[in-house]
Amino acid sequence: MTPPAGDGTTQPGRILVVDDTAFNRLLLAKLLRGIGHEPVEAEDGSVALERLRDAGAPPIDVILLDIVMPVMDGYETLAALAADPALRHIPVIVITGVDELDSVVRCLAMGAADYLPKTVDPAILQARIASSLARKRLHDAEREAIDRQAANNEVLAIMSRSVFDLQVVLDAVVRAALRLCRADYGVAYALDGETFRVAASAGGTPQLDQWERDHPIGPGRDSVVGRVALLGEAIRLDDVLADHEYRATEGQQASGYRSLIGVPIEQDGAISGVLALTRNEVRPFTDGEAALATGFAEQAAIGIANARLLATIERQRGQLARFLSPQVAELVSSPEGEALLAGHRREITAMFCDLRNFTVFSESAEPEEVLGFLRRYHATVGGLVVELEGTLEHFAGDGLMVFFNDPEFQDDHAARAVRLAVAIRERFAEISEEWRRRGHVLQVGMGIATGYATMGRIGFEGRYDYGGIGNAIILAARLSSEAKAGEILIAQRTFGAMDGAVPAEEAGERQLKGFSRPMPVYRIDPSGSGAGETAESAEALPAAEAS
Amino acid sequence: MAGPIDAATFANLVEMTGGDLAFADELVDTYLEEGDRLVEDLDVAASAGDVEAMVRPAHSMKSSSLNVGAVELGALCRALEEDARGGAVDDPVGRANAIKVGFAEARAALLEERLRR
Repeated sequence: MTPPAGDGTTQPGRILVVDDTAFNRLLLAKLLRGIGHEPVEAEDGSVALERLRDAGAPPIDVILLDIVMPVMDGYETLAALAADPALRHIPVIVITGVDELDSVVRCLAMGAADYLPKTVDPAILQARIASSLARKRLHDAEREAIDRQAANNEVLAIMSRSVFDLQVVLDAVVRAALRLCRADYGVAYALDGETFRVAASAGGTPQLDQWERDHPIGPGRDSVVGRVALLGEAIRLDDVLADHEYRATEGQQASGYRSLIGVPIEQDGAISGVLALTRNEVRPFTDGEAALATGFAEQAAIGIANARLLATIERQRGQLARFLSPQVAELVSSPEGEALLAGHRREITAMFCDLRNFTVFSESAEPEEVLGFLRRYHATVGGLVVELEGTLEHFAGDGLMVFFNDPEFQDDHAARAVRLAVAIRERFAEISEEWRRRGHVLQVGMGIATGYATMGRIGFEGRYDYGGIGNAIILAARLSSEAKAGEILIAQRTFGAMDGAVPAEEAGERQLKGFSRPMPVYRIDPSGSGAGETAESAEALPAAEAS
Repeated sequence: MAGPIDAATFANLVEMTGGDLAFADELVDTYLEEGDRLVEDLDVAASAGDVEAMVRPAHSMKSSSLNVGAVELGALCRALEEDARGGAVDDPVGRANAIKVGFAEARAALLEERLRR
């Protein structure tokens, strides 16, 4: 009978014929070629295993295995195949004489897929091989799907882990695309002005990488990247040397790549980059590989979008920080921020500070002088607030309010507030000394109180402040008004909470506006105030209300 | 049909390989070359009384002989292979000789077939 030709129903496979008899190998090889397959011969099991494990050789789809062989027989070969995870999925058809049914049973038990009689009938050979090939193909497809899924998961995991590092994401994308599309070299180009520059690459020599980095590509028909940029779609070149528009670059000449694919990396419908893969032989990229590459380009696009979004947030946070205290700027741009901004109850220590005589000063001095003084004062006080990690609620002309223990928790909030007040008083003495020489007497008075307050966003849509409402804040404001020039007055609860961190003395009970009963008040470190003389000068002038 | 080579089997072999006579010649040459070696192996094993060493050459000779149509030779080889596998071969030297003679007859018939074409 005539062997059926390798028609459309027979998918060609690479079949390893393992038989010690040259006659059998010759005959089987001829029959296999006759039905469209590619035979590979091995004269015993050990030669077969060597060929199967040769990573450089094209993969085998089905094994035809003789049982009685020298060196390594069929049983030993089956056992070795079953023990090798990389080989155990290759279907084995045992070739056996009709009188060897016992051995057939043994071989099937050892993992053989099928058996064939020695006196081969081509039709049976074809049918058996087709069935084993189908089995192998199914396995290959399954493994490829698992591989793709694994590579996708890997890239996604890296993307979620390294949102802040675009380079890590692009490196992972190019590596995965290179592996799954079976390419030799891969590059992700990013649009930089008018040209596309290397953003990440994999598989190339340092020289090739350097060449690519040194040669950004512009839109045009003479390169795949340029063509992708021009047409906005995936471009495949089966052989760059056969394409009359392609201009072979030194990079191509150096690495000798032949088949190429380029897919666009798009942002909001505009091309922001190109993912390109090359092969150093003429082996065109398939539709499946083009779809894979497009998937990886989409991941690169998400990575780039994430990085841009992050850069925008960072920039906004930087700008916010110039208007808000760093803690509040952080709060506004953090995920937990919204809940805190909505309002929360917290024990805080509030500190008020305002200038005595400021009204008189601003009336008698030149406006430029007033502004110059305020800048110096704000810079000095602002620096100290940042240093002690206070949350600055506002600067209002000469007055300011700072609170501690919110939004960041600070166990020592009372002590911090007192230290800030002492530091402001010391530094202010230096500034005021300069102005005193010009005839202006300026002094600060400060009040501090500790207690619960409701903190959060205060104001209205379009103009919000981060601030608080509570008795402690009112008390701190009253104590600040009550304080004489150079004096720091603190509430009883602050005194208790700071636990002797800074020396303080009792300053009697005061009747304060808005409080029904007299409040016990303490004065901070009067010896360190250096206030004796300035207090006198301050008292000599009409008392100025905090503006 | 008498004679060392069954004509129908041989014709089937040629047809199976696509009627390619040049290939049939190559196949026969391979059979003959390999057969010489197998006959030699059998001889050596028989003279040494090494029954186990007779299994593989008898086995290989059997399958290729049956494929080219050397039916009687194939039967001789099969019987020897089975006995040798069982560990007991009566008159090993005589049986090896019978196979040698059978192979020589098969060779003559195969070469004659080629000349007749």
